[in-house]
Amino acid sequence: MLLPSAKWRWPSPSGLPSQRIVGGLLALGAVLWLTAPLVELNLPRLVSSSGRLLRFAGQLAEMPEWGYLPQLLKKLIETVEMTVLGTSIATLVSLPLGILAASNISPHPWVCRLTRDLLSLMRAMPELVWALVFVSAVGLGPLAGTMALAWVTVGFLGKIFAEAIEVVSPKALEGVRAHGAGRIQTLQFAVLPQALPDLVGTVAYILDHNLRSATILGLVGAGGIGYDLIMSMRMFQYGRLIMIMAAIYLMVTALDRASDRLRGQVIYGQVYEQ
Amino acid sequence: MGRSMSSEHLAALHRPAKPLPPRHRTYAWAWAVGVVVLLLAITWHLGINFTTLAAGLGDIAEYIHRYSTPNFTDWSRYLALMGVTLATALWGTVIAVGFAFFLAPLAARNFSPHASVYRGARETLNFMRAMPDLVLALMFVAAIGLGPFPGALALGVHSAGFLGKFLAECMERVDKDTCEGVASTGASFVQRLAFVAWPSILREGFGYLLFILDRNVRMASMLGMVGAGGIGLELYNSLRMFNYDQSAAMILVILAALLLIDHSSSWLRRRLE
Repeated sequence: MLLPSAKWRWPSPSGLPSQRIVGGLLALGAVLWLTAPLVELNLPRLVSSSGRLLRFAGQLAEMPEWGYLPQLLKKLIETVEMTVLGTSIATLVSLPLGILAASNISPHPWVCRLTRDLLSLMRAMPELVWALVFVSAVGLGPLAGTMALAWVTVGFLGKIFAEAIEVVSPKALEGVRAHGAGRIQTLQFAVLPQALPDLVGTVAYILDHNLRSATILGLVGAGGIGYDLIMSMRMFQYGRLIMIMAAIYLMVTALDRASDRLRGQVIYGQVYEQ
Repeated sequence: MGRSMSSEHLAALHRPAKPLPPRHRTYAWAWAVGVVVLLLAITWHLGINFTTLAAGLGDIAEYIHRYSTPNFTDWSRYLALMGVTLATALWGTVIAVGFAFFLAPLAARNFSPHASVYRGARETLNFMRAMPDLVLALMFVAAIGLGPFPGALALGVHSAGFLGKFLAECMERVDKDTCEGVASTGASFVQRLAFVAWPSILREGFGYLLFILDRNVRMASMLGMVGAGGIGLELYNSLRMFNYDQSAAMILVILAALLLIDHSSSWLRRRLE
């Protein structure tokens, strides 16, 4: 009577999970079982190291090093600036690319295919790898980081823009074209008004994502707070580390909330209450 | 009477047309100017010089040219390392699903048993995704030791924050009547989850799951930089030793794997729809 079957039926006519679900779960279990040695999964090690993890967390609970505050603020502002600049450049560049990559308004199927492949190549590698490339090319500093952010963001935004444009209703396109509108006018009066809410929501989401990425670009010397973060970790300056982590947490949380709100407003036409 | 009507019509015709309603005023131009000024200010403040960039273009081309002769002599090892990276991403995703499975229903306002539970679950998810996964990986490597396992753990914790939030938001969009219908039969919390929440978001949730997996594969190839195993560690080492040929080969292996994942996930997504 522990699990009365009448009460715990699977929500399907037979009361049993479908064969596909069972098969899928079994296959997943087998894959996990096979790949466990690859990731060196070791539960005893995890349990025995939890003490060390706690000790590490305990070390973090140190008095913040207040003298570091001006430098911290400077680096935080740099991080935010990189995010805003990189995202803005990427938005500008990806609009035309997105239009070229949308199958319903692209000038030629080949252009569409080619742009899509280019975009997928741009977003294939994470920001950090591109940051390495750009640091080697333009030197250390925020320029390399901004470029890496913009580069990968174009890859993502271009694809998302193209998808947002592809779901635009063909009736509106036809209606505007029937009035003799040219290519640009079709874009201006049929495509953009319909796709805009989606696009704004996406940009808000990407801005949030990029701020998170910008905090770690400093690991390879591409500007922002990341360099101080890894240095204070390597030099065991826990008073600084705790400040940096708290600052990142606050910053990311604030933007997360703001972007949620904005997206709620734009997509659902109302403020999505927290 | 007919006459007066027609004269009235005539008068209406001769009257100057009613002015059009005032044009909807937009401040788009002000916004545009503001944004441009802000961006210029940021550019100036960051000390970014676009002539540096222009001069750097040649350097970039030259730099990329150094990768033009990939050396695949060690290909079997690269494939094995890529396998480790993929396994790390898979395990990270499974860990994320494990966390999200329990946290998402608690963080959905319409299913959560209590307002304080809802708030607590949301804040937990928020905390999980606030720390970048590379930082988490650094901490787990420090605590557990080198290897892919701390990487998988870091990926799991970080992406659980996202997956949990996405799923909770899906659940909040579930039709209210359906929730009420099942709740009115006296269904318990777990039953409401089993019969309303999960079945209604299954399809959407699977889409998010694919997105998280995709993201984790990308990130897993990076985690090696902080000592968390996989092909990233090897790539980072060979980049630091200026072994361009081997780095190029590894980058190509990563690219091929990522494109493969990209295509198979979009294929799966199409099949779902």
